[in-house]
Amino acid sequence: MMGQAAALALLEKALSYSPAQDTDIYLSAQDLGLSRFAGGAIHQNVAHSNVVLNIRAVTGKRLGRATTNDLSDSGVRKAVEAAHQNALLMPEDPDFEGLPQPVGAPQVNSFDETTAQCNPETRASIVRGVCLQGKEHDLNVSGAFRTGIQENAVVSSRGAKAYHAGTFAGLIINTMSSDSAGWAKGGSWRISDMDIEALGLEAVSKAVDGRKPITVEPGRYPVVLDTYAVDDILEALSLYGMGAQAVQEGRSWMNDLIGQQAMSPTVTEWDDGIDSSGWPVPFDAEGMPRRRVDIIHQGIVNTPVHNSYTAGKEKTTSTGHQAYFTGGPIASNLFMQVGKSSLQDLIGHTEKGIYITRFFYTRLAHSKGCVMTGMTRDGTFLIENGQITRPIKDLRFTQSYVEALAGVEHIGSESKLILNEVGFATKVPALKLSSFNFTGVTV
Amino acid sequence: MPMDDFLSRALDLAAVKGASYCDVRLVETNQERFVVRNGVVDTLSNDESIGIGVRVLVDGSWGFASTNIITAAEVDRATDLAVEIAKASAKNAVKPVSLGAPVTSKGTYITPIHVDPFTISSEEKLGLLLAADERLGSVKGISARSGNLIFSSEKKTFANSEGAHVEQTIYEAGGGIMATARGQGEVQRRSYPQSMRQQGGAGWDFVSGMDLPGNAERIATEAVELLSADQCPPGATTLIIGASQLGLQIHESCGHAIELDRVLGSEAAYAGTSFLTTDKLNNFQYGSEHVNITADSIRLPGLGSYGWDDEGIPAQSTPVVENGQFVGYLMSRETASGLGLNSNGSMRAAAWNRIPVIRMTNVSIEPGSWTLEDLIADTDEGILMEMNRSWSIDDRRFNFQFGTETGYEIKNGKLGRLLKNCTYTGITPDFWNSCDAVCNEEHWTMWGIPNCGKGQPGQLGHTGHGAAPARFRNIQIGVMK
Repeated sequence: MMGQAAALALLEKALSYSPAQDTDIYLSAQDLGLSRFAGGAIHQNVAHSNVVLNIRAVTGKRLGRATTNDLSDSGVRKAVEAAHQNALLMPEDPDFEGLPQPVGAPQVNSFDETTAQCNPETRASIVRGVCLQGKEHDLNVSGAFRTGIQENAVVSSRGAKAYHAGTFAGLIINTMSSDSAGWAKGGSWRISDMDIEALGLEAVSKAVDGRKPITVEPGRYPVVLDTYAVDDILEALSLYGMGAQAVQEGRSWMNDLIGQQAMSPTVTEWDDGIDSSGWPVPFDAEGMPRRRVDIIHQGIVNTPVHNSYTAGKEKTTSTGHQAYFTGGPIASNLFMQVGKSSLQDLIGHTEKGIYITRFFYTRLAHSKGCVMTGMTRDGTFLIENGQITRPIKDLRFTQSYVEALAGVEHIGSESKLILNEVGFATKVPALKLSSFNFTGVTV
Repeated sequence: MPMDDFLSRALDLAAVKGASYCDVRLVETNQERFVVRNGVVDTLSNDESIGIGVRVLVDGSWGFASTNIITAAEVDRATDLAVEIAKASAKNAVKPVSLGAPVTSKGTYITPIHVDPFTISSEEKLGLLLAADERLGSVKGISARSGNLIFSSEKKTFANSEGAHVEQTIYEAGGGIMATARGQGEVQRRSYPQSMRQQGGAGWDFVSGMDLPGNAERIATEAVELLSADQCPPGATTLIIGASQLGLQIHESCGHAIELDRVLGSEAAYAGTSFLTTDKLNNFQYGSEHVNITADSIRLPGLGSYGWDDEGIPAQSTPVVENGQFVGYLMSRETASGLGLNSNGSMRAAAWNRIPVIRMTNVSIEPGSWTLEDLIADTDEGILMEMNRSWSIDDRRFNFQFGTETGYEIKNGKLGRLLKNCTYTGITPDFWNSCDAVCNEEHWTMWGIPNCGKGQPGQLGHTGHGAAPARFRNIQIGVMK
C-alpha cells in the first residue's frame, strides 16, 4: 500500500513534469491476494501489487493520454511527455471544454484494517472450512477468495487533489454433484460483514436440493430471481445504457424512454458512490465527486450518469461517473429499493413458476429494450402452488430486461451487496416477475 | 543490474526458501491505442507496463507473487511472498503437483512482421481512422460511428529452475470500424472487418491492408438498410455461417471445451467446465466427417502464435477434431501429466501480474473444398449469417445462441432479401454433426479475438481462429422474443 502522502507526492511530482497547458493524473493502485480452489484444494494462489498512472494532457481543445506503471523518474517523465505529444497531434474537439473544475469530494471510510491484513494463511483457513462443508455432502467445491486494498488518487493542474483507500473482500463458492450445482457469493469492504459459514450452507443446499433435475419445456413463466440474478439485470442495464455516452449516440436502451414509465412503479434504482453500505469510492477518475443519481424512479426512466465530457455536451455538470481512465461514464455503485416480501413470500406468491439462483454468460441480443440472452445456472427450481417442488435443468432465456422489470410483482425486503471483480457493485433484493421468456434448455 | 540478473536472483532465492520448482517472467509491454468516435478523436494513448512474476512449487503446491517495481529488494519480496503463499496452498492440498518431464528450452523468438507499427507516425494512424470516420458519416441515417486501432509489443523473458531461458517479442496490430443506424423503431449496426476489430500477430501492413476507409461507406449503407429489413423468421433451416462468425463459433463451442483445466474442474466456479470429459478423448464423434479442427501456436497472423508458451514449451500444432472425432486437448504441464501426456504448450498469462492458465492458441477449422458461390448455389433454402452481434453459451459449452449483424435469405441457390436481428441456437455436438460442407482455402481467414475472459483475477486472452464459411443443416434460427 502506498498511502496518501506517497501517492499524492508521486502525482504532484509527475504533474510538475508536464509541459501541457493543463494536466490531470489518476493513480490506481492495487494490492491483491486471491486463492482459487477446486476439488477440495487450492490450485491457484496469487498476490500482486501494481500502481498505474493515467495521464491526460490538454492543449486547447485537444486531449492526449498515456499510462505507465514505471514509477522511476524517467518512466514518469516519458509518460507525461507522451500524453503531451499525443495532445499536440489531436485535431481539436469542439465539444471538449477542458478538464473539469475541481469540486471537493466527500470523505468516506471504506478501509478495514483486518481486511487489509488478511494473509495467505487466513485465506487458506477460510477455504478449508468451505471445502469441508461441501465434503460432508459429497460435493465438489470450487471458488475463489480474494482480499486487498484499492487506492485511487487524482491531482490536476486545475487544483484537484483527492485520495481514497478502500479494502475489499470477496468469496464465491460453487458446489457440484454429478447432476446439480449450487452457488453463493459474498463481498464487502469489511471481511467481518461476510457470514462465510452461511455462504457455504447456501451453496451446499442448492446443490443438495438440485439433484435429479427434470426438464421443463421452454416458454414464458413467472420467475422468482435470487439477488445474484437481479445483480445481472442491473449490471446489464448499466453496461448497455445507463451512461450518457450511449444515450447521446443512440445506442442505449434508455433512448426514447427517458421520462417514460418503462418499469413497474415499484422499481427504483439509483447509483451512489458514497454510500458505505455499498463499495464506495467517493470520486471518479477525473477527481469529480460521485453524486447520487436517481436513474429509475418509481419505474420512470430518469437520467443517465455523466462524466465531464458528456455533461459538457448537455450543458450540465458531471455526476462523477468516469469510472475508468477511458471509455464513457458508467453507473458502478447501483442500488435497488427493497420491498416488503421475504424470499419465502416471493415463492409463496407464485402458483407456477421458476426460481433462479443466477444467470450465466448473458449478452446483449438487441439494444432496444436491452434484450439479453443467457443461461440459468447453479440452482434452478420449479415452483408449484407457492412451493419449490423440483430441481430443473438449466434454461436459456431471451428476454428484454426493461420489460422484465415492467413485470415486477413483489420485491424482497432484504438487499444483498454483490461485489464484482472489476469494481462494480450492486446492492439488490430478490424479485418476483410476472413473466420471463425461456427459449431453450440445455442437455 | 542487468534484467536477467533479476530472474536469476528470484530462481536462486526460491530454491533457498525450499521451492522444488520456480519460474520467473519479466514482461514489458508497449501499446498504442487510437479511438475515433463521431468525427472526434476520443483516445490517443501510449500505455506502458512492466513487471515481474514469480511462480513457485513448495511442498507440491503453487504460489505466485508479482511486482511492478524492478529492484532487487522488490524481487526478493515477491519471491518470499510466492513461497509463503505456496506453503499456505500446501495446507489445502489433495495431492502434490506433478509437472512431468523437465523443460529446458532456450532461444529467442520475434513475431515476423513486415512493417514495425511503431515506425509509423501517429498522424498517419489517426489519418486512417479519420478518413474512415468521414466516409461512415457521409451516409445519411447513421447515428453513431466509431473506429479503433491498436498496436502492441510485448517483450517477455522466461526462465525456470530446470534450466529454461527464452526471450520473446510478440507484436500485434488491429483495427476496426462500426456504424450504428437508428430509426423506424430500430437500432442496427454493421462492423468491419470484424466486431470490435480484427487483430493479428502482425505489423502495420496488416491494418493498412484492411482498407478501413474503402469499406466504410458500404457498411454504413448496410446499417441503414437493416433498419427496414425484414425480421429473421423463426424456424429450423439450413444455415451457412460466414467465416468471421464461424471463428467465434469455434472459439466458444470448441476452443473453450478442449481446455483441459476446465475439463478437470479448476475453472468450474467461474468460466465453467466442459462436456468433453476425459473419457471422450479419442472416443467421441464431436462433429461430422467434414469437421477437422486444429490447435496451433504457429500460424500467423493468429493471435495464438508464439515461440514458447509461459511454461517454456515450444510452439506446436495439435489435432483436436479429425474427421469429426475428438482427439486432443489444450494442455499445461500439470494437466497433461495427470493424463500421462505431454503438454502441447497452451499456457499463457495475460500480463506479468497474472499466472499462466490454459489458453486457446489458434483453434481453427481446416478448409474444405467448396467455393462459397457453389455452396450457396447448392442450397435450395436457407440463410447466410455473418458478423457477430451477440454470443452466449452455457457453462459446459453445450447450449449456445449467437446473433449476427446480417442475414441473407437463400432461395433456390441464390441470395435473396436482407434479414435483420438474425440469431441461431443449438447444442454443440448436434450442431457440428450437422455440418455438411466447409469452404476452401480461398475463403479461409485467420480471425483474432483479443478479449477472451478467463481466470480469477481476470485475464483477457488473445486467441486466433482460422475459419471459412460452412453449412449446417436443420438449425434453429430466429430466436429473439
